[in-house]
Amino acid sequence: MLKYSIRRLLGMIPMLILISIVVFSLAKLMPGDSLSGEIDPNNTNPEYIAEMREKLGYNDPLPVQYFNWITGFVQGDFGKSTKYKRPAFDVIMEKVPNTLFLGIMSLIITYILAFMMGMYSGRKPYTLGDNAIAGINYIMLAIPSFVAAVFAIYFFAFNLNWFPFGGSVDILVETGSAEYYLSRLHHVLLPALVLGAMSTASYTQFLRNDIIENSRKDFVRTARAKGTPIKKIYNVHILRNSIIPLVTFLGFDFAALIGGAIITETIFTYPGIGMLFLDSVTNRDYPTLMALTMLLSFLTLAGNLIADLLYGIVDPRIRLE
Amino acid sequence: MKKNKSLLWLFALILVLSAFLAACGGDDGETTTPDPAEPADTEETDEDTEGAAEGEAQAGGTLVYGLDAPPEGLFSSAFYGIATDAEVIGIFDEPLIDYNENLEPVPNIASWETEDNKAFTFKFEEGVKWHNGEELTVNDWVFALETIASPDYDGPRYTNVSTIEGAEAFRAGEADSISGIEVVSDYEINITFDEARVNNLTNLWAYALPEAAMGDIPVAEMSASEFVITNPIGIGPFKVDKIVQGESVEFSKFEDYWNGDVNLDKIVLRVVDNSSVVGALQNGDIDMISLQPVSGPEVEPLENVEVITYPGLSYYYVGFKLGKFDNESQTIVEENPKYQNKQLRQAMMYALNRQEWVDAFFFGYANVVNAPVPSSHWNSADDSELNTYEYDPEQAKTLLDEAGYVDQDGDGFREDPNGDEFVVKFSHYATGNPTFESRAQAITQYFEEVGLKSELEMVEVNLYYDMIEKDDPAIETFFGGWGTGADPDPSGLWKADQLWNYPRYNNPEADKLLDDALNIDIVGTDQDKRTELYIEWQKIVNEDLPMLYIAELEEIVALNNRVGGVEYDVSGSNSPAEWFVTE
Repeated sequence: MLKYSIRRLLGMIPMLILISIVVFSLAKLMPGDSLSGEIDPNNTNPEYIAEMREKLGYNDPLPVQYFNWITGFVQGDFGKSTKYKRPAFDVIMEKVPNTLFLGIMSLIITYILAFMMGMYSGRKPYTLGDNAIAGINYIMLAIPSFVAAVFAIYFFAFNLNWFPFGGSVDILVETGSAEYYLSRLHHVLLPALVLGAMSTASYTQFLRNDIIENSRKDFVRTARAKGTPIKKIYNVHILRNSIIPLVTFLGFDFAALIGGAIITETIFTYPGIGMLFLDSVTNRDYPTLMALTMLLSFLTLAGNLIADLLYGIVDPRIRLE
Repeated sequence: MKKNKSLLWLFALILVLSAFLAACGGDDGETTTPDPAEPADTEETDEDTEGAAEGEAQAGGTLVYGLDAPPEGLFSSAFYGIATDAEVIGIFDEPLIDYNENLEPVPNIASWETEDNKAFTFKFEEGVKWHNGEELTVNDWVFALETIASPDYDGPRYTNVSTIEGAEAFRAGEADSISGIEVVSDYEINITFDEARVNNLTNLWAYALPEAAMGDIPVAEMSASEFVITNPIGIGPFKVDKIVQGESVEFSKFEDYWNGDVNLDKIVLRVVDNSSVVGALQNGDIDMISLQPVSGPEVEPLENVEVITYPGLSYYYVGFKLGKFDNESQTIVEENPKYQNKQLRQAMMYALNRQEWVDAFFFGYANVVNAPVPSSHWNSADDSELNTYEYDPEQAKTLLDEAGYVDQDGDGFREDPNGDEFVVKFSHYATGNPTFESRAQAITQYFEEVGLKSELEMVEVNLYYDMIEKDDPAIETFFGGWGTGADPDPSGLWKADQLWNYPRYNNPEADKLLDDALNIDIVGTDQDKRTELYIEWQKIVNEDLPMLYIAELEEIVALNNRVGGVEYDVSGSNSPAEWFVTE
């Protein structure tokens, strides 16, 4: 497995180089640049904009710009965000904890809901309950997240007052105290619920189908013949086997966790990577934009690798050489 | 079958609902995208508007201040780039020189004397404290000016320092200090400009930076330093306690504030998404916030909230590309023939029902203008002196007939005087805000009603201004907006040698009036005389119409009834020190 991992890791290098070229060209192909939005007679003048273009190297030929960027990048210098005037790395790292927290919370919610619904559906397929679960799941999948977010804020935050309507923490509580962590949890729950509850469909249906499939297998018949209680058969024997495909999902979720949820984060004014990403695109903040895209590409590749490795671990029948 | 149908209905409903919500939430495109119409610093008008709560000021309490777009987090007067950051800075910092409701400079911490508008002597108040306990002296101002003039400075303010004598040499590295700055004592300083101008003072950068705190940081690293990002220091009535990046800032009362008592104990500033603004106001989660025009009609019926409007300093227009600009030689080198006919432009102005358009798309929070100077400026011409181009499609048709634009082939649209097909190509920026397309469509419909065939093109906003600036042939008539600052002089946007004169309007007579109005040998310091010249100029551009002036926007603020002591005029709000809350 070690050999396999190393081979895969080495294989990622040419892939990342290719991705970096694509990312760079796409970023530069976007019309305008980070200064075209700054035209404002109150604030600045054409000379400043021309000077900054020169300073930022936007007038250099593209291959030179690419080379400058990539040499900095491999040395860990992601460049300075043109919008925030700070190192892009700092700007990104500042948002990562928020996004991770939201991502993990929503993933936990998704898993809990999907397991409950999937196990029920798998055990009683083609019943009213199963159909209802499938219906609800697909409706949730179809509802755009911003609609769900706005409604959730309206009902749970404004009408019922159960949750705050936005933000990641109450600024008035002291950082680091127990209250602080409770406040963070309180703030993250509603967006996590919206994100988590809306994306249960694929997990539920995967689990359901797998349980149905496994329940027809020989080992289940053997267990039944031996008189093992039905409950135990489903909760232990079948579930164990049915989790395998779900575990591989975890690898793909890895990149999604950091990638953040652009729209949900914006509506809940929850400052995270998703919001930053969208922002860097609209402002042509190349350093942040390219660093983020590279980061996400890398995580996707790493996620795939993890998924493959996990496969081997949960299912010893699959050998990795 | 029947079941399927009802499901279809359900999906259709969801679709419609989501489109509707997209339309509601979409308006943030107007604030978050860099739209040059957003005025960066608002200054005051003579129309003061008083806050909601009546009666005596009360001490204590916390006020929650909402922002509908996240700040960038550059919380320093010298380094910020967007209006949202300026709003945050306004709570904890103060300018040395302030502006009154007529947008004239008035002393705040610094008072000044000058005889020739070239050499100024400034005297500072004594005993003004920075939030870190140091005393403010003129050296902090020198520090700010030299930071901005440094070649390593990465903010946009150099234009406010460049007119000081010796600033160019300092920036080029030829001098160790700016020769026009002479420190007399801790509280007195002489500043000499490179030449006498009437607007030297309004142009000068009038914020200090805390030298004791920031002095050791190299200029190139300053904008990323803690005194800008996490721990900004100012001289205002509130000091920054804590910043949660991108979502909230906590301020508390600064006990050593130099200018009288501060009422509130705390101000909490928090970012609220546009879709939550109305609910948050209704629930009292936020006490005050600037509104988008689209939220106004929803907020006005709320019983616990008062909506206040005050004049803004921005205007929207439909511009014509009349020529091409060469940035090297800074001249207009070519004329575009298509819209050179003045009668054509005037006819298009008569064809626009601007009042109806403004009511439909700005919900009444905007006023029709007839010249490119917002009415709050002291040099703005009264409508009685201008042609107001009341909506008159018949007049438009007559003018077009006179100019030779008549329908020759019977297709219902006019041809140009040579008998060739004539299509008004109109461009508008697109940001994802769905109302932009409908408001642009409405303008083309007005043109079509008088027989001018029109075509609309929506262009992605970042590309849009780039194309306009480079005189891209694809842009013929375009929608735009400008914000003007405290200085009412329109030269930077209107003279023939300016890159940002987007219509490429070239009228030496008009340029001369603008030059004269700034020429100290002609107008001296006599404001009435300047006003006369500016009004003369407005009459010319009102007649020539290189752009069709549409409307100036009003600023809209929602205030909870428990808030008092808040006043607005063109320069924005009064000092936060005077704000209070009743419980």
